[in-house]
Amino acid sequence: MIDFKPVIFINGILLLILAAAMGVPALVDSVSADPDWRVFALSGLTTGFIGFGMALGAWPERQRSLTTHQAFLLTGSAWFLVSAFAALPFIFSGVGLSVADGVFEATSGFTTTGSTVIAGLDHAPRGLLLWRALLNWLGGLAFMVMAVALMPSLRIGGMQLFKMESSDKSDKVKPRVAQVAGSISLVYLSFTTATTAALWLAGMDIFDAVCHAFSALSTGGFSTSDRSLAHWGPAAQWVMVLAMLVGGAPLALFVSPWKRHAWPFLHDSQVRWYVNFVAFFASLLAFWQWAVNDMEPGDALTHATFNVVSIVTTSGFSSIDYNAWGGFAQVVFFILLFIGGCTGSTAGGVKIFRWEVLFKLAGVHLKRLLHPHGIFFVDFNQRRIPQPVLESVLGFVTVFFLTFAFFALGLTVAGMDLISALSGSAQALSNVGPGLGAVIGPAGNYKSVPEAAKWIMAFEMVLGRLELFSVIVLFTRSFWRG
Amino acid sequence: MTDFRPVLQIVGVILCLLAAAMALPALADLIAANDEWQVFVLSGGATLFAGLGLMLGTRTDFRVLTVRQTYLAAALGWLAPCLFAALPLASGPAHLSTVDAIFEATSGLTTTASTVISGLERMPPGLLLWRGLLNWMGGIGIIVMAVAVLPTLHIGGMQIFRVQGLGAGEPASPRTARLGRTILGVYVSLTVGLWAALWLAGMPRFDAAIHAMSTISTGGFGTKDMSLGAYNNSMIDLIACIGMVLGGIPYLLFPLMAQGQWRAILRDQQVRWYLGLMGLGAAAVVLWLMVARGFEPLTAMRHGVFTVVSVMTGTGLVTIDYSDWTGLPAAILFFLTFVGGCAGSAAAGIKVFRLKLLFANARVQLHRLLRPHGIEIPTFNKKPISEDVLESAMGFLFVYVLGFAVLSMLLGFMGLDFITSVSGAASAISNLGPGLGETIGPGSTFAPLPDMAKLLLAGGMLFGRLEMFILLVLVVPSFWDQ
Repeated sequence: MIDFKPVIFINGILLLILAAAMGVPALVDSVSADPDWRVFALSGLTTGFIGFGMALGAWPERQRSLTTHQAFLLTGSAWFLVSAFAALPFIFSGVGLSVADGVFEATSGFTTTGSTVIAGLDHAPRGLLLWRALLNWLGGLAFMVMAVALMPSLRIGGMQLFKMESSDKSDKVKPRVAQVAGSISLVYLSFTTATTAALWLAGMDIFDAVCHAFSALSTGGFSTSDRSLAHWGPAAQWVMVLAMLVGGAPLALFVSPWKRHAWPFLHDSQVRWYVNFVAFFASLLAFWQWAVNDMEPGDALTHATFNVVSIVTTSGFSSIDYNAWGGFAQVVFFILLFIGGCTGSTAGGVKIFRWEVLFKLAGVHLKRLLHPHGIFFVDFNQRRIPQPVLESVLGFVTVFFLTFAFFALGLTVAGMDLISALSGSAQALSNVGPGLGAVIGPAGNYKSVPEAAKWIMAFEMVLGRLELFSVIVLFTRSFWRG
Repeated sequence: MTDFRPVLQIVGVILCLLAAAMALPALADLIAANDEWQVFVLSGGATLFAGLGLMLGTRTDFRVLTVRQTYLAAALGWLAPCLFAALPLASGPAHLSTVDAIFEATSGLTTTASTVISGLERMPPGLLLWRGLLNWMGGIGIIVMAVAVLPTLHIGGMQIFRVQGLGAGEPASPRTARLGRTILGVYVSLTVGLWAALWLAGMPRFDAAIHAMSTISTGGFGTKDMSLGAYNNSMIDLIACIGMVLGGIPYLLFPLMAQGQWRAILRDQQVRWYLGLMGLGAAAVVLWLMVARGFEPLTAMRHGVFTVVSVMTGTGLVTIDYSDWTGLPAAILFFLTFVGGCAGSAAAGIKVFRLKLLFANARVQLHRLLRPHGIEIPTFNKKPISEDVLESAMGFLFVYVLGFAVLSMLLGFMGLDFITSVSGAASAISNLGPGLGETIGPGSTFAPLPDMAKLLLAGGMLFGRLEMFILLVLVVPSFWDQ
């Protein structure tokens, strides 16, 4: 039987942190004399009270490490629980969202998806806007800590390749949360500060700059304007491009390179693929916009780069309605929905690392066809990928596409049209944000989507965020029998 | 240096067979007192001349083909007939341009059956027969390839279907000849049976022959613009539906069926999955038709089941214009297009067995998360799947998806809209026929597409039909070394 105590305890701690975070928008609202501050204060108190109760009631005696089962249970429950409590301010605030809308918005925020159901952001109270950005930011941080500290030991989808050298090989999962979280948070925090400053210099006012820095570094995608980044000029857009690119790169590579006298992110093969990939599609679309749609070359480059980066890093800001760019652009953006950023970043999706492995695998297959008796291996960063890792990558990609297809069918049952359902399922699973088509495209909004579809997509976001397997495993019989 | 002579000799033999086949439509036109018979005689003469020239000019007494020669023979053995089969179409009564003729011929031989000809009812019998024959010959061609060539080449996991004593590197044995006779016998008798059944059900004899040929090969060329919908006879629909299901079953199972070993067939996992997926898809579409469209249960069954079977096997016969089935059925049909039939049949697509392999692996991965030291191994038909097979299957799937993505991007680049590009690419690569949307949906033709798009689609059909890797291997530089 699984011991639930440590799981409940950590969930309680996470809720306490969430409650503390609600204090920030409450403060901002009370400074700008908006009555919404009471909503935040009350939601914060409720969340804090429940979190406190859980932590106190399940206070662990001495056990410090989690078993595999507990770790799976923790990752699964924590994201659903935090998303649910984060929805409280949305449901009770002045914008008056329904329960489905509130949960959708909060899940979308905390999973750094960035799909929104709120229209009229430009005149929304500041506390609310800050809360959305803060959810993105916290979600990004939580995911990164999980990806670096927990996922490799759980061996999900080839993540064991990113196991840190020092971690032991026993079955006990020892999240070195404190140590890892410390250095990563520092990098995250300093990039956020730098982005805020840069955005401010690029002409945003300080509040918008903070919100956008939060949601760009976390590859979230919540904006403070209905028009997203189209509201600001090219200077701000280019700053955002850089911020999103950093958010989609493995942040661990930025940890104090001067100490190691090396800049690992210049040599990492995943980062190279990522940058080349983005550059290729950005220039392709810029060319298309310039040659076919007669855009000014400068504008074409800005908009193509911005939106490609935004989709590949799974942020989901938009600088223009690219849905109107024609069939070619729609196809490209649909395909980009599946790519995702680097492993070890805040981005979602299949992730560059797995595409790289698949691409090399296809190459190896091709070579084997020609030389049936030759011996070929799949390399990653000049190291041979062990067989179990390869198989788990294959398993992940298979399940990703099956899940995508399954939920796309579900969305059509809920009443969405084909393009919206296909792109909606893909964007939710990859935590991107906008889909394609008139309804949920970059110029659209999820407000008009049927209620059942919102629940499906919210579930899918968590599923995608937790790399599928850690949720699916909870639904197997052998998990509970163990 | 590769010896080309055996390759060219095989291509010569294939061309001679093609030339002989052209005599049939010539005869049909002659009987119908139609002047177009001369076109077929002339084209046949030219094809025969080329074929004999190749055969006689390259006489060698080879007994065994090397791996390289097999690849070349497979690729050229499809490419050359596609070009020569276009001769009667280009100079015939339909007044097709060169590109249109090549598109139509490739579409016929690859059993895709996307057409550029409208007004089929007014076309002379010779032309209609030629299209049917193209489907039929393409069907038997791919079955022979799938049984004898692909498994020995280890393409995309097909090595698990390897039959001892067949294929490259092994001299022909009596067993080979017997197996070849069996398959041909099954194919011919199924066609004749289908012909008789369709005729008895009330179809004119000539139309029945053409439909029998295009159904069993999962091709889909008909004699009416509205395909089977023009007959409006539920008996005909039912017979064609059974014919298509049979066309998607591995041919090596039919001898077993003749011996009455039904158990063995139903125990075959590939057949089970094939029928299971088909049943699920059909049930969902039928339900949708009843609920959302208010069809009578029997009418819903008739059209729903037929359409799902037709799309999944890659046939493309149509009883009803399903382009206005938005939402759920559109999504189901879109996904089933990719699934395709069983390996070893005339159907195309990813093939059911690859999905089964990957699914088995994903399941094992899931279980391994909980029991890292368990020794569970994915199985297919109760035999363990080797790593090599798994990697080949995944490599195949990746290249398939990549090919689809690139093709749909290129089509988008030609100026087609999103649905046309995406469904056109899927339809071509899976050898289906009709796409979705207004331009290329069921009941419309590919004629309005730009020439470049038609050539791309024809390339996509060949690419899909030859299981991708046969063409890919040819562009690897090391193929031509030595």
